[in-house]
Amino acid sequence: MLEDLDRDIRDHIERETEDNIALGMAPEEARYAAVRKFGNVTRMKEETREVWSFVWLEQLLQDIRLGFRMLRKSPGFTAVAILTLALGIGANTAIFSVINGVLLSPPPYKNPQQLIVMKQNDSLPNVTDIQKQAQAFSQGGGINVMPMEYTGGTEPVQVRIGLVNAGFLETLGVQPMLGRIISPGEDVRGGPRFAVVSYPFWQTYLGSDPQAMNKEVLLDGNSYTVIGVMPASFVPPVEHADVFVSLWVGYPGAAAYRGVHFMHTYWRLKPSFTLAQAQQEMATIDHWLAERYPAEEKERKTHLVSLHEWLVGDVRPALLVLFGAVGLVLLIACANFASLLMVRAFAGRQELVIRAALGAGRGRLIRKALTESVLLSVLGGAAGLLFAQWGTSMLLALKPEKLARLSGIHMDTRVLLFVLVVSVLTGIVFGMAPVWIAARADVAEALKESGRSTTASTRGHSIRGILVTSELAVALVLLVGAGLLIKGFSRLRSMNPGFNSANVMTMYLQLPATRYGEIPKQTQFRRELLTRLNFLPGVQAAMVTDIPLGGNYVDHSFVIDGRPPVAVGAEPEVQTLSVMGNYFQVMQIPLRAGRDFTALDREGQPLVAIVNEQMVREFFSRENPLGARIHWARDEGPPHWMTIIGVVGDVKHSGLNQPTDSAVYTPFSQSDEAWRRFMTLAIRARDASPGLVEEVKRQIWSLDGQIPVGDVHAMDELIAVSLAQQRFNMLLLGLFAALALILAAVGIYGAMAYAANQRTHEIGIRTALGAQRRDVLRLVMRDGARIALFGIASGIAGALALTHLMASLLFEVKPTDPATFAGVAILLAFVVLAACYIPARRAMRVDPMVALRYE
Amino acid sequence: MSTKEQADRIELLQGTLDVLILRTLLLGPAHGHAIAKAIEFNSDDVLQVEQGSLYPALHRLIKRGWISFEDGASENNRRAKFYRLTPKGRRQLAAETSKWDKLAAAIARILRPAG
Repeated sequence: MLEDLDRDIRDHIERETEDNIALGMAPEEARYAAVRKFGNVTRMKEETREVWSFVWLEQLLQDIRLGFRMLRKSPGFTAVAILTLALGIGANTAIFSVINGVLLSPPPYKNPQQLIVMKQNDSLPNVTDIQKQAQAFSQGGGINVMPMEYTGGTEPVQVRIGLVNAGFLETLGVQPMLGRIISPGEDVRGGPRFAVVSYPFWQTYLGSDPQAMNKEVLLDGNSYTVIGVMPASFVPPVEHADVFVSLWVGYPGAAAYRGVHFMHTYWRLKPSFTLAQAQQEMATIDHWLAERYPAEEKERKTHLVSLHEWLVGDVRPALLVLFGAVGLVLLIACANFASLLMVRAFAGRQELVIRAALGAGRGRLIRKALTESVLLSVLGGAAGLLFAQWGTSMLLALKPEKLARLSGIHMDTRVLLFVLVVSVLTGIVFGMAPVWIAARADVAEALKESGRSTTASTRGHSIRGILVTSELAVALVLLVGAGLLIKGFSRLRSMNPGFNSANVMTMYLQLPATRYGEIPKQTQFRRELLTRLNFLPGVQAAMVTDIPLGGNYVDHSFVIDGRPPVAVGAEPEVQTLSVMGNYFQVMQIPLRAGRDFTALDREGQPLVAIVNEQMVREFFSRENPLGARIHWARDEGPPHWMTIIGVVGDVKHSGLNQPTDSAVYTPFSQSDEAWRRFMTLAIRARDASPGLVEEVKRQIWSLDGQIPVGDVHAMDELIAVSLAQQRFNMLLLGLFAALALILAAVGIYGAMAYAANQRTHEIGIRTALGAQRRDVLRLVMRDGARIALFGIASGIAGALALTHLMASLLFEVKPTDPATFAGVAILLAFVVLAACYIPARRAMRVDPMVALRYE
Repeated sequence: MSTKEQADRIELLQGTLDVLILRTLLLGPAHGHAIAKAIEFNSDDVLQVEQGSLYPALHRLIKRGWISFEDGASENNRRAKFYRLTPKGRRQLAAETSKWDKLAAAIARILRPAG
């Protein structure tokens, strides 16, 4: 059809020419008249072609080409705009990925919304009773993770054993990858020694053997038969475990005790019940248990919470604050982007107006402007995606151990979609600005203005002013937030842990039950080991049950001699620590009163104890603790009275930001608790050479080659780990604050430079009329000062309203800390003035002759 | 051509041209030049077609399926396209004509109320 068009048109013109000749025209004249009557051949052809083509597509491609050409023509603008968006969007995506992974995605179990956890640990008899009585739960089970030695490999290793009841794996609803899980019939006293192993254990110790079923594994000297392998994706909710065995089989002594509340328990809610109903029912069961077993369960008060909330609970405030920070950074980035587009709009306004005057439709103009800004947003979004990928891996590298679930985080399609929507919306919203302004412009007025503009266009000026002011305010909020966290962190770091961590190395040991079941055997091993270690040159060694910041401790109820009797079950609790060797000297925990343990405080001698200052404050505020006697509330037989012989300084045992608990230290050799077969070595070496760990291990294995060694840490490292979460928060928010500061500074500088540039003509006139450099400087700086004033004032108001949300993240710093607010305000004022000063200086040097000619 | 003459001629609006082409083809198939001539002749030269604009219009009508075309030999054995009204085009013309009649009548009533 179209291919014949030329022929058709030629034919048409020939016929017309012939008609004209027939009317008596000269051939030359006839042809001329025919062509004139036909009109513009090229345009007709184009219009005809348009009938058949996808005009909009061609125009779109044309717009995109034009857009690219425009962007290439101003590389500075393009680079700044894309970078601005990339930073805002990139940071957003990285954090969104992390939040998505930690907060939004539910735990990886079947129907996770039905899973509930008890905040308090419980004992197996109670779990069994609750299972029988509760109507709200369809299933329930518990786990306690305990280290055991596995001696199947080349050297003895410590593995983590999940002591469970049959309901545990069933409740989480995870199918084994191979074999089966322990059935209720096998989960009884004297049941078969069956083990379900984790995927990593199967890989490391069973060689990924698909025929691993029925293999025997030796745990703490007992042989267990492997009956199942869990899938690689399965991790127990709180603590990881390498092997799962029935509590009745693996630790029957603890299984029977109602008072031993050591299992984390998980419950599956029936679909017809709510959490509140389950909680109500639980209160009834608590009451029933308390009446029935007053000795163990008198103080029972069980709190139920959804597993999801339980898992993300303590990181939620930090993540939400970070999310807020990221939103603010995106806001700043968008404000910058918008202000860049506005500057361009005014620069390109003449062009738009002329196009409109020449008859370009508004729709076409909008499309052109949109294409350009969407192009920018998409480029910015793509660059942002690269930033995001880099940022996500950076966040993962910085993650504290505690955020273990972070390991499963990667950028998924939801994140991608989120970025694209944000970036394209940004482009559409702010891309409208130029057309909006042009469409409202009076064409004639605008064309007149093209000649000389003595003053900058007021409307654009004020919009940019608002953008820059709000950027400044948002940056201030972020900087205050970061400042508060940094201040809190430095407080935390300067916190005295109560001991000197430098040059101290720690190592966890557990004596196998088979050969060290009795206390004398344990004491002999401990004493011999310390003798050998202290014999090493430059080494001071001691041991304690649980090292500070190691994450573990044991509480005991106790009774003070001569005090009015306390009801059974309501006795006060203290942290209990057994030590051997010069523990307080090695850790450099100061002795405040009385004396330290000596070698004579040993088995067969009078029982002694040392308490910490918190214990004195809490229980001996009105009497001298030295010489007072205490005993553990649940002693079997007659009470074993211990005499307090000394007071030592407080130690931050559970974390630098945690309060100190009252603590009682006793000699290992006087202990009557044979189950405490574990210990942590604390070794202070003159110089911590890497060979030290190997030397210590050699000494241990020369005493007993079958003892597993684990958790080798420098004490400094433990402190660093305990600070990790705070460091992570501070680092991230600090990063965002720096980003915000840079973006805001760029935005302010851009706006100021543009404004000064617009006024070049005005400045030229003023200079020609005799204005001094100082006057010009004042003229330009006045604008900046106004922005700084408004921005900082509204920023402070915003920060006051928002910082209380992060109160739980701050350590000993008020959310309204005046020093931080003032410091940040001064910093920002300085940044604004610096951003104004550069364009102002340039304006001062303007040659009036050049300026007057300048447009 | 004098200025006066030009002022009397009304430039054709796009939609009107489409209707005029359909009306012309009601008389039978015709080639492009003939259609242009017929429109000029029938409207006493008052409706002046810039003849070239006939072609986008013809293509538009083909695309909508209101007319079809075939190659044929015309007088002195020249090959040319002959355009023909389709049944769909016929219906369209009827609809347009009645619409136009109503509009014309309405305008006439407004301009000459006394009759």
